[in-house]
Amino acid sequence: MISGTSNKRWLNPLLAALLVAGVQTAALGYMIESRASILRSGRDVLLKTVPVDPRDLLRGDYVILSYDISRLQPDLLKGALPTQSGEAVLYVRLERQPDGFWTATEASFQPLPPVGDSVVLRSLPFSYYPSSPPSAVNVDYGIERFYVPEGEGRTLEEARNAEALSVNIRVDGKGSAQIREIAVNGSPVYEEPLY
Amino acid sequence: MYRARLERDFKHWIDKGLLQDNAARAMLAEYDGRESTFRAGRVLLILAALLLSASILLLVAANWEALPRLARVAGIVALIWGFHFAAGWLLRAGRAAFAAAALVLGAAAFGGGIALIGQMYHLSGDAADAALLWFVGASLSAFAFRSAAMATAAGGLAWFYFGTMLTEGAFPTISDWHLWSVPVLAVIVVLLVRFTEAGRARHLAYLLVLSWLAWLYLDSPSLAFAAGLAVLGLAAFLVATLPGSPVRQLALDAGSAPAFYSFALALLGFTGLQYEAVGLTTEIAAGAGTLLVALLGIALAGAQNGAVRYLGYVAFAGELLYLAFETLGSMLGTSGFFLISGLVVACIAWLVIRIEGHMARTRQAEVSR
Repeated sequence: MISGTSNKRWLNPLLAALLVAGVQTAALGYMIESRASILRSGRDVLLKTVPVDPRDLLRGDYVILSYDISRLQPDLLKGALPTQSGEAVLYVRLERQPDGFWTATEASFQPLPPVGDSVVLRSLPFSYYPSSPPSAVNVDYGIERFYVPEGEGRTLEEARNAEALSVNIRVDGKGSAQIREIAVNGSPVYEEPLY
Repeated sequence: MYRARLERDFKHWIDKGLLQDNAARAMLAEYDGRESTFRAGRVLLILAALLLSASILLLVAANWEALPRLARVAGIVALIWGFHFAAGWLLRAGRAAFAAAALVLGAAAFGGGIALIGQMYHLSGDAADAALLWFVGASLSAFAFRSAAMATAAGGLAWFYFGTMLTEGAFPTISDWHLWSVPVLAVIVVLLVRFTEAGRARHLAYLLVLSWLAWLYLDSPSLAFAAGLAVLGLAAFLVATLPGSPVRQLALDAGSAPAFYSFALALLGFTGLQYEAVGLTTEIAAGAGTLLVALLGIALAGAQNGAVRYLGYVAFAGELLYLAFETLGSMLGTSGFFLISGLVVACIAWLVIRIEGHMARTRQAEVSR
């Protein structure tokens, strides 16, 4: 089960330690930095949350967030739709409304060019099943989970279900987003530092 | 364990005059001197490492609110470096067992780090991706340190990856790279097992591929897929066991695994075919096929391969019972249920006694020749 005679070693054990610990640290660092870079250079977008189906309210210690842009109505879909079911990614154009919140104005399965003051958000890959007429599409953007200290989840969920919760995200040039701030009735409750 | 059985059998053979006393002692000494021999202390050490790793993971899960985020990251990174360098130092000092335990702890710290960072920074990426990253980290460690313990851990993590995909529902019904990555992980585990001489850990990989195929079939059952599995398994089994086949010697040298897993694959395919069958005629045709394959397995590989023989018996008995209930079961009541079971089990017992007796005689004949 366990073996380690010196004649079958191919790498000095200390070099091996350096290699393994170094690569593993780099992987963890990459996880942290890819998020931080979005927060550092991304554009601010304010989103409205919507109530979540009660059966998956609290999963462990994170609150599930759902947005009005998580469900896209068929009239928003522009351009060619996939004709076969398969893995797909949606590009969603967000524009700022007079009340300060951003909302989806068009969505496409092909990359959308930047136009004016709008921001293009890219969904996570999802399974798309074509139908005629096209039906509404539910998508995730990688900003649906917010971990909170034990016991604090309830307050946020109640606020979310009373539609009093707003989430400020930052979106980078590639359309990836990260949560920057969560507010209840307009006053910030969680502000996310870079690191 | 095997060591105790070996000693008992040696004693028996010495009493019978079949084996010299000093030869038996030399053989036992050789066995005890093997590097990979099971030792209670080493196994307990790995168990201790696993328990400690669980404590690391639980500490992370308990949401360590007292420390600032960067301090927590620094702590987990320090654990990763500490355990791996401790392993390197222990290997240089010739303490292989402690080094293996330190490597398991290091891999656990890496897994804890992935979970911790995902949680602290609200990363929504799915659990399968996190499990995959953990597997890659563990595999690198197995490769760099040429550690059998870590190759085994990588095999376990490959299963964990498969498990997260099933439970998280990230496995879509349509093809996706995740879906096809499971056999790739199995191949990596087999390569690592060969490289690190981890021996039995290779079964983790073989079983993973079998379960994956079974899952693939359950997810989208089709006649063609079941037939494909049956044909593929049967072909591989025949190639591995048919006398005169060019690969037979190669398969025999690799132990009982090639014959057993190809046989299991063929039976999996026939189980699928049985499931696809509609109507009495096709039911019986599929059943007869399964019975034939079970007998073929026993006849071709049963003599040298106990695993194939027992799987053959189980498949044969299961299929016979299934057929009996499908055809006769509806006509008889509860008493008929026991009647059929009794008759079928008696038939199988007779068959097994005949086969085992025949095999014992063949082996004796080979020895006396």
